[in-house]
Amino acid sequence: MNNNEWLNDLRRKMEDHTEDVPDGLWDAIRNELFVEDKTENSIPIVMSDDLKAKDKAVSTIHYKPVLYRICGVAAVLAVFFIVGKLLVFNDKKEFVNYSHIKENSPQITFPVQKSDENAFEEEMVLKRNNPDNLRHDFVVKNLNNSPNKTEVKNDLESQKSNREENQKKYVHTKSQQHNENTELQSIETEKYELLTKEEREQKQKLKENEKIKLAKNKNKKSWAVGLLTGNASSSSTEQFPGYATLNGATLSLPEMWSSGYEDNPLMAILIANQDKKVDAKIKHKTPVTFGASVSKRIGKKWSVGTGVNYTKLSAELTSGSGSNFISSEQNIHYVGIPVQVNYTILQKGAFTGYITGGGLIEKAVSGDIKTKYIVDGIPKEESKEEISEKPVQISVNTAAGLQLKVIKNIGIYAEPGVSYHFKDNSSLQTIYKEKPLNFNLKLGVRLIID
Amino acid sequence: MKENKEQILVSRLLQKEEAAWKELFGVYSGGLSYVCSRYIINKEDVHDVLQNSFIQMFRSIYSFEYRGSGSLKAWITRIVVTESLKHIKKNPDFKKVSEDFEIADEQNDEDPNLEEISQPTIMMMIRSLPDGYRTVFNLYVFEKKSHKEIAEMLGIAENSSASQFHRAKAMLAQKIKEYKMSKTAHYE
Repeated sequence: MNNNEWLNDLRRKMEDHTEDVPDGLWDAIRNELFVEDKTENSIPIVMSDDLKAKDKAVSTIHYKPVLYRICGVAAVLAVFFIVGKLLVFNDKKEFVNYSHIKENSPQITFPVQKSDENAFEEEMVLKRNNPDNLRHDFVVKNLNNSPNKTEVKNDLESQKSNREENQKKYVHTKSQQHNENTELQSIETEKYELLTKEEREQKQKLKENEKIKLAKNKNKKSWAVGLLTGNASSSSTEQFPGYATLNGATLSLPEMWSSGYEDNPLMAILIANQDKKVDAKIKHKTPVTFGASVSKRIGKKWSVGTGVNYTKLSAELTSGSGSNFISSEQNIHYVGIPVQVNYTILQKGAFTGYITGGGLIEKAVSGDIKTKYIVDGIPKEESKEEISEKPVQISVNTAAGLQLKVIKNIGIYAEPGVSYHFKDNSSLQTIYKEKPLNFNLKLGVRLIID
Repeated sequence: MKENKEQILVSRLLQKEEAAWKELFGVYSGGLSYVCSRYIINKEDVHDVLQNSFIQMFRSIYSFEYRGSGSLKAWITRIVVTESLKHIKKNPDFKKVSEDFEIADEQNDEDPNLEEISQPTIMMMIRSLPDGYRTVFNLYVFEKKSHKEIAEMLGIAENSSASQFHRAKAMLAQKIKEYKMSKTAHYE
C-alpha cells in the first residue's frame, strides 16, 4: 500500500499508447468547424496510410453528416410547402366567409337578386327561342354587376338612376342615342372603378363575391345569370332602378363595336366573357418575411433576439375568365423590428430546433396596386397606383424554427409560425386585417452572440 | 529565435487554418482517443466527447500558452479529460460504487510486474474497472491529481476518492496477477 511505484511504471508504460480513433471523427469535427467555409466536397482524410480499410470507412462515414443536412433542408422545404398550402386554403375559406360577413350591402343584395332571378327565370324560358335577345341581355348583365351594389348602398344614386332610366325609355328606339347612353354609363362605371384605391379594392371584392355567389348558385348555367338580370328591365324596375338604367340600354353587339368599345378594356373584357363562366379569385399570398437578427444566449436553452425584418404582403385579384380578365395586384412592403425570446428544444449537429415568441412592430414603407386588363390574353391596359397610406402594424407571434449554423456564430433559419396582428386603423386592405391570426414564414440570417 | 514545430503548428492553429487542425488531429487523435477511452467505455460516447473536445480546443486555442515542448499535448489532453468528466457527470450513477468487490488482502507486497503485459491488455483491465473507481484511478495515476483535487472535480468527498482509488488499485493489481497466472498456466 505504501508503494505506488508500479503505478508510475504503469503511467510511463502507457504514455505513448494510442487507441483507434473513432470512425468519422475528423469528418464530424470538420463539419462542425469548417464545413461552411468550403463547399461540401470533402477530402477523405488518410490518417494512417497503411490502413486502407480504415481509410475507406472514414470516407463512407463522411456522407452521414451531409445526409443529415439534406434531410434537414428537405424538412424545411416540406414545412414550407405544408404551411403554404394551409395558407392558401385559409385564404379561400376566408374569402367565402367574407361574402357572408363583410358589410350589409352584399347581404341585402344577394337575396334580392335571387328573387329577381326567380322572377326572370320564367321570362327566360319564354325568351329562350330568341337568340338575339340573349346576346343583348348578356351585355347588359355585365354592366349590372357593379352598379348593382351602388344602388343598394346609396339611395340617392338609385334615384338618379331612376331618372336615367326614364330618360332611356324615351330614347328607346333611337339606337344612336343608346350608344351614347351606354358610353356614358361605361364611363361612369370606369370612373367608379378608378375612384380611390380603397374603394376600388373594396368594390372589386364585392364584385367578386357577387360573381362567386352567382356562379355558385347557377353553377352550370354560366352566363345564364346575365340573361336573367337582363330581363329584369321590365319586371323589377321599381325595386331596382339601377338595373333598369343599365338594362334600358339594350345594346346590340355590332353597335358596340362600331362605337369603339373595344378601346375600353373593361368593356372588351365584359364582352369577351359574355358567354363564359366567370369567376373571380382573390388570393392573399403568404406573407414572407426576410430578416437579419441578432440573438444573445441567456442560459443554456434560452436566448433573446432582435433585428430587422422586411415583409412583403401580396394580394392578387383576378376576375374574368380564361384569357379575358382584370387582374389587380397589391403589394405592400413593411420594415419591422422584432423582439423575440427563443427556447432551444433540440440540437443536432449544425441544426438547432427552437420555438420562439415575441412582438413585432412594422411600418409600411411603400405599396402599390397594379391593375391589368387582359383581353384575349393580351394586356390592353395597365395602371399603377402608389398607396400613400403608411400605417404602423403591431403584432405578436409565435413560431417553431429550424436553424442551420453556417459558420461559427452565423446561422440561417426558417421559421413557420403564427402571428396575431392588431388593427392598424388604416383603410389598407391586407391579409392582416381580414385575418388577424395569420400563418407566416420567416427566412433569415442570425448572428448568435454567446 | 527559431520556433519549433509545435509552436509553428500552434500559430497555424490560431489562424484557424483547416489544414493545421487536420494535422493536429492526425498527430494527436490516437493518443487522445486513448485518454478518452480510459474514462469512457461506450464507443459512440468516446466519439462525441472527442468531437466536443476538438471544438473546445478550436474555440479556446487563443488561451493556450506555450510552455515548452509537450505543452500542447498536455493542454489538449487536459481538455479531453475535462470533457470526459463532463460527460461522466451527466451519467447520474457514476458515483455509485459497487461494494461487492472483496479487496484481496495485500499481504504480498510485491508490486505487480507490468513488463510482460501489453498496452492493450492493460488498457482492457483499466476499462474493466467499475466507472467510479476507474475515474478516480485515472485522475490520480494518469492526470496526477491529488485526492483533494479529484474530490473537487467530481463533487465527492476526499476520503471517498481515496478509498475508491485504493479499491481500484487493488482490483487492478489482482487482475494483473490473475492474468499472469493464467499466462504461466498456459505455458506449463
